[in-house]
Amino acid sequence: MATEAGARLGLKYLDTNGFGAAQGGRGYYLPVDIAVRSDGRIYVLSRGDAIQGGNGVKVTDIEHTWYEVFSGRGTDPGQFISATAIAFDANDRLFMADEILNRITIFDPDHNYVAQWGAEGSGPGEFDGPSGIAFDTDGNLLVVDDKNQRAQRYTPEGEYLSSFGSGGSGDGEFNYPWGITVAPDGVIYVADWRNDRIQRFTHQGEFIDSQGGSGDGEGQFNRPSNVAVDNDGNIFVADWGNQCVQAFDNDWNFQTSIRGAGELSVWAAEYIDANADEKAARASFNPYPELDVVDPHEVSSRTEPYFWDPVSVAMYDDSRLLVLETGRHRFQIYEKV
Amino acid sequence: MTTAAKTGTELNLIAHLLRRTGFGATWDELQECAALGYDGTIDRLFNPGEPEHMPSDIIRRYHPDQSITQIAPSSGSVWMYRMTTTKTPFEEKIALFWHRIFATGQTKLIQGKVMLTQIEMFRQFGLGSFRDLLVQLSQNPAMILWLDNQDNHKDNINENYGREILELFAMGVGNYSEEDIKECSRAFTGWTIANMPYMSIRMRNNTLRPYGYVAWQYRFDPDDHDEGEKTFLGETGNFNGDDIIDIICKNEATPRFIARHLYHHFIADELPVPQWPFEGPKDPEAIQLMVDAYFANDYNIGAMLRAVFESDMFKSEATQYARVKAPVELVVGTLRLAGGFDWPTQDIFKATAACSYMGQALLAPVSVEGWMGGEDWISTGSMVQRINFASDAMGDLTKKGIKAIIDRVSERHPVGEVAPMALVDDCLELLGALQVEPDTRKGLFTYARAQGEINPRTNEGARKIASVLQLIVSTREYQLI
Repeated sequence: MATEAGARLGLKYLDTNGFGAAQGGRGYYLPVDIAVRSDGRIYVLSRGDAIQGGNGVKVTDIEHTWYEVFSGRGTDPGQFISATAIAFDANDRLFMADEILNRITIFDPDHNYVAQWGAEGSGPGEFDGPSGIAFDTDGNLLVVDDKNQRAQRYTPEGEYLSSFGSGGSGDGEFNYPWGITVAPDGVIYVADWRNDRIQRFTHQGEFIDSQGGSGDGEGQFNRPSNVAVDNDGNIFVADWGNQCVQAFDNDWNFQTSIRGAGELSVWAAEYIDANADEKAARASFNPYPELDVVDPHEVSSRTEPYFWDPVSVAMYDDSRLLVLETGRHRFQIYEKV
Repeated sequence: MTTAAKTGTELNLIAHLLRRTGFGATWDELQECAALGYDGTIDRLFNPGEPEHMPSDIIRRYHPDQSITQIAPSSGSVWMYRMTTTKTPFEEKIALFWHRIFATGQTKLIQGKVMLTQIEMFRQFGLGSFRDLLVQLSQNPAMILWLDNQDNHKDNINENYGREILELFAMGVGNYSEEDIKECSRAFTGWTIANMPYMSIRMRNNTLRPYGYVAWQYRFDPDDHDEGEKTFLGETGNFNGDDIIDIICKNEATPRFIARHLYHHFIADELPVPQWPFEGPKDPEAIQLMVDAYFANDYNIGAMLRAVFESDMFKSEATQYARVKAPVELVVGTLRLAGGFDWPTQDIFKATAACSYMGQALLAPVSVEGWMGGEDWISTGSMVQRINFASDAMGDLTKKGIKAIIDRVSERHPVGEVAPMALVDDCLELLGALQVEPDTRKGLFTYARAQGEINPRTNEGARKIASVLQLIVSTREYQLI
């Protein structure tokens, strides 16, 4: 959606999808990434923890339809221990990264396991904590190799092609990078997590520019984790440490910042309706209580509608933004206005 | 006890101080403190500068479960990271102390976030004025729900918190009446949390639905506070909770009670708390020393402890190794020696679980009275856990702390082999100037000698040195602090 000249882009809250499902079933538990398939189905990577279940790749859509869960905790092919990211290729195959198993797993469109590749190490073609993945415009897979402080490029079958980046804080250098996004125009965005900035690279991996700096002001970040870019080049940054999402135009002019406005999802409302004592008590629930803390993480922990660890963002049919929250087991949906 | 070779009296005293105020010390840490001297080390304990430990953003990114801490292993592990990586372990020792006295548990409260907020409060206020600490405690959401003060209403009191602040937290049985409990409870009416009763019902139902736990926020509800006149410990007035705390803090029973707890935690094992009303303290002079410091320093806990650490009583041989290590002290102390927690690892869960297996589940004390401590820590089962855990850690040659010890032995003996007794003494010293009984030292020597030639520059030599370390942490003395 193009905005009129001079008008700032806004984000209007629309809806919430999610439900805390630590024991499994419909909903999410500690989700870490979200991706939209070509048919509009929404995939949420529900990482879970080492003790409880409830993890796997969960499938839903914008209307709250619950489809299924596949994959899950384990070391067998098709399973994961610490999954970090998912991405679709042009054939709707789902690729999933695991930062402990140091591997990429591929599922076909019916969610069947297809293949896996990857090896631990620091040499070319090896990983030390793959934390973000995205397909470039040639159909090759970019993998953020977190602890090796670089991004690597592979064919979908896992053949190493190239890499860019190294440890540091200069142009093109990284400090534990996290998410990666390829914009519709082919530009690569990397969330340079501990440098508190987003860096842009050409399709070939050459540094273009960066935006950020440590802080909580407009255009500053606190450990940004991921980026989404719409067809107009507007940029949406999951500002994980500041517990917000910031929006910019393609020249990094600040547009807006949102803190979250989550409400009961369809699934959540069904739960509340089915539990009379909680429903009665929730009737007097003030979701925005007066607080005696200012740390954003603490504030989010005490304020249900706010984002709590907004870890990933994704565009939905270019008009809506999905914001995934690890801490609240849900994603909020915003409309560009 | 036999002193390991090449250690002076002051170094041994510093090692003693660091075991009591922290989790022991590596050789490098000991040398750093030796340069300051014993008194200088005390100064640094009370003026530590900015805390330095594994940053929370690092933990939260690689362990998302430890960001929201819904389950006990996650919240316990957050604290375990802090204890194993902090440069200011005294802060953690104080937090552990208050966690044992003001025992709250995730078993009832369900969510770990509020527990960790309480632990952070102990770090901030634990060495300051006891009055400030009690106010913070009384307004702490974890404590409020732990002792049901959300159900303490002006027209229908619940005396759970009013009773425990007197019995378990500040004064001890025998220093107040049943009427005082009721009046105290009336003064704390209206001290509640935001969004009651929804938060309370969710805790009772043990549900994280719909969107995970919402951490609790303290709130004073003036409409539910009893504004009537109250008589408490002989004083009459329209008391609020703050006034009650003032009266508690100026009563001499209070510092006597707290001093006995401090004695148990920092000096020597005491009798279990339920016996205190009937049997006097082990060392009345030590208690009086702390009581005097309390009143001379505006109820300051740090001043009570400083008086202890500067006393001859604390430095005496009888005080050294006079306490059984709590499981957390054993696990954290061992891990700090072995190293290996510089970056998030799944092994943190094993460390947290190890404490549980030994009888001290972090953030889940066994009852409202906390853990008894002392010889209660030792049983057939727990001893096996303690020795296996420490021995496994010392035998891991990939750990940087173990490598550092072996490198140090190699530096000290740059040519050829290490004589068995020299190796034993080196290892005792490098494990934090550990002192052992003559029989133990003899046994260690016998073992080292049986290993044959030990060249620290070979893999075989390193393995043998590690096996001596494993044997040392299996001794009786390593179970003491």
